[in-house]
Amino acid sequence: MSKRTIQLEVLRYRPEQDKEPFFQTYTVPCEEEWVVLDALNYVKDEIDRTLSFRWSCHMFVCGSCGYKIDGEPKLGCKAFLRDYGDNIRVEPLDNFPIERDLVVVIDDFVEKLQSVKPYIIAKEEKALAAGEYIQTPAQLKAFKQYSMCINCLLCYSACPQYGLTNQEFIGPAALALAHRYNMDSRDVGRSAREHVLAAHEGVWECSFVGACSVVCPKDVDPAGAIQQAKFTSAVDYLTSMVGIGGK
Amino acid sequence: MGARRPYMRTMSKTSWFMTHARFKTYMLHEISSVFVALYMWLLIDGLFRLAKGPEAWEAWLSFIKHPLVVVISLIAFAFFVIHTMSWFKAVPQAMRIQQGEHFVDGKLIIGGHYAALGAFSLFVLILAGVA
Ligand code: SF4
Ligand code: FES
Repeated sequence: MSKRTIQLEVLRYRPEQDKEPFFQTYTVPCEEEWVVLDALNYVKDEIDRTLSFRWSCHMFVCGSCGYKIDGEPKLGCKAFLRDYGDNIRVEPLDNFPIERDLVVVIDDFVEKLQSVKPYIIAKEEKALAAGEYIQTPAQLKAFKQYSMCINCLLCYSACPQYGLTNQEFIGPAALALAHRYNMDSRDVGRSAREHVLAAHEGVWECSFVGACSVVCPKDVDPAGAIQQAKFTSAVDYLTSMVGIGGK
Repeated sequence: MGARRPYMRTMSKTSWFMTHARFKTYMLHEISSVFVALYMWLLIDGLFRLAKGPEAWEAWLSFIKHPLVVVISLIAFAFFVIHTMSWFKAVPQAMRIQQGEHFVDGKLIIGGHYAALGAFSLFVLILAGVA
């Protein structure tokens, strides 16, 4: 295992004493196989206990370690140091208010996520004793990719529309999840989600920059989901015009 | 512990696309569609001239044969090709075709689009008596 020393430039913001964020550089001795999150943890453990950042699983599952690393939204636990130079810049995700250092306020996203009803709305609730809702592998395949989201918000950080609309746009992950449930054979909630999807801030706000799908660490392809949702939304609109209801 | 004081960084509404190479490419691509629109306008204008009668039509024909217009047309054609390619490339994302437990390979869908474009272009050329 070889050692390497990097300069970690971290955007700091301590609300009780800083008027605005500023960069602080830490010199970090690293192991070759480290990820950026390891370097941050080294700083926290050995250099500066006041540095704040979110993380939990260290294995791309929890979605808490989203930072902007060298200008690109990344998971800190998936960004290997070997892919970066000796100067690495770590900032909080764009488009979200900074709570402290690398920690951002995500209340807006949580609200948006709730607004698309990201759960199965069944035709009729079955009693537990009545058994599970059956689904074939093909029916699962139809939406599985869109169910892989870990709510890491890299896509919101990458999306210019979310920023340009002052966070009005419902955004990639929430829309992809809405589409995921609409595509689920066990779900009948499409019309209950329609007013959010078809709203001005819904799928039509997307101009298909496609950055969300590029940065997504789980290959969810929210941009693809949104384009498909535009199609179903248009069909729903047309069928409702001629009076034949959709799902 | 201090009180909460979330800090919102500002985003320039007029130069946001200068902040990332990806956005610059996107913007250039969007702006270049102006050429495509202009060329469409030129063609539609031709249709109107045709409807007006032989004299107007001949005038339009000699207009589009002017070297400057030919150069502009070639530029527009290049952008047409770029936009067609990027549009076709995006199709598998927007239109997934599922067969059983699999999706049809995106390359097949893109290939199908090129084939259809080729067939249609050939049809138009035959109709025009060129091919
Ligand atoms: S869609 Fe991808 S980038 Fe967006 S929150 Fe989900 S996992 Fe993260
Ligand atoms: S720490 Fe859980 S995704 Fe990185």
